[in-house]
Amino acid sequence: MAKLMSLLWGAGSPPCWRVMITLEEKKLQGYKRKLLSFEKGEHKSQEVLEVNPRGQLPAFKHGDIILNESCATCLYLENQFKSQGIKLIPDSAEDQAVMYQRMMEGLALTDKLNSVIYYDCSVPEEERHDSAVKRNKEALTAELKLWEGYLENVSAGSYLAGAFSLADVIVFPSIACAFRFGLSVGRYPKLAKYYSLLKNRASIKTTWPPHWVASPQGYDILKDL
Amino acid sequence: MATDITLLWASGSHACWRVMIALEEKNLQGYNQKQLYFEKGEHKSKEVLEINPRGQLPAFKCGDLPLNESCAACFHLECKYKSQGTKLIPDCEEGRALILQRVFEVNALAEKSSSVLYYNWRVPEGERHDSAVKRNKEALTAELKLWEGYLQASSGFIVGKNFSLADVIVYPAVAYLFQNGLSEQRYPKLAEYYKGLMNRPSIKASWPPTWKNAPKQETLKDI
Repeated sequence: MAKLMSLLWGAGSPPCWRVMITLEEKKLQGYKRKLLSFEKGEHKSQEVLEVNPRGQLPAFKHGDIILNESCATCLYLENQFKSQGIKLIPDSAEDQAVMYQRMMEGLALTDKLNSVIYYDCSVPEEERHDSAVKRNKEALTAELKLWEGYLENVSAGSYLAGAFSLADVIVFPSIACAFRFGLSVGRYPKLAKYYSLLKNRASIKTTWPPHWVASPQGYDILKDL
Repeated sequence: MATDITLLWASGSHACWRVMIALEEKNLQGYNQKQLYFEKGEHKSKEVLEINPRGQLPAFKCGDLPLNESCAACFHLECKYKSQGTKLIPDCEEGRALILQRVFEVNALAEKSSSVLYYNWRVPEGERHDSAVKRNKEALTAELKLWEGYLQASSGFIVGKNFSLADVIVYPAVAYLFQNGLSEQRYPKLAEYYKGLMNRPSIKASWPPTWKNAPKQETLKDI
């Protein structure tokens, strides 16, 4: 089954990481994959555009089925392979609802992180303003406080929507990115606990961004948040 | 039960509209609802913040469960009320995959539309640049061409031959574009899709009330 799947991905990209975690959780190792470099602009290559006309990663195929939106890919894999690997969608409609809510909110978190971490990449020099940087940091701080609240009772086996679920698959990569970029463990103790509880989970450890393993020292853009 | 459901909404918000369409499709009319006004800042009121700490609309509750992200609300309604009303997610593998793909792609369409339509709202005067406005318009144009392409072989729906969750999520974003003056000549397939579903009961029943007598805007006529 996994042999019919292929993934074009970039290191450190939360959307790519989400798909890779799901593939591990559903015991779909053995899929074809190719690591591409954002710095070299490979996400805009013909090879990617043929699968994803937006020139973004991940670009995922299962046979003739194409799924480039990471949430769509993860939902699809869980539904298709429900009976193998870990169950990533809880059974009750109520628990599922919390899961869907946190998944979608995870997209807001990722956007706000990107607006701070990648400000210089996405905004041309002559359009940059300190006022915008300040506003983006304030928005990210407010967002992180919400997540700190959602994880008030975090403990082993009790994550964003109870047991490990698609909510964690979607959100964990962004939390890991936040700490990689210097988020303070002291100021966000619940997020830090969530991070340390899940970072050694097999699916997460196996798919940890390779350049983060090679150079564990990250950046400090977020240290003052 | 519709009476366990509460929705705080604003006219013209695509996120709110999606939830209203889904409620109609699942035969959940009779839910508690209240129309609020962005212009009066009501989205930041205590009433909203109690349900949605981000101060955004929709603010939606099913029983005690807040579900403020519109896609989450729609997924939940389809799962919980699977056996009533329209089936919004089919069983077949390929149809389902494409529906999921389109549902999440709408974020790109909505974001690019907003970056043009709400530029002055979002960006303080001292930070505005013609270069950014131009870039946002080009990005929206490229995005619209993609959606025009998706509808080339359409039978009136965004995916396959039946109304699905993808239409619930996509239709409001498309309607919004035409309400703001998008050219029907330049985007004939999008226009056909827009007009084709306008009279579907769930869409007609939830049509933004502030659009009914208001003239169309022209912000997007040159896109």
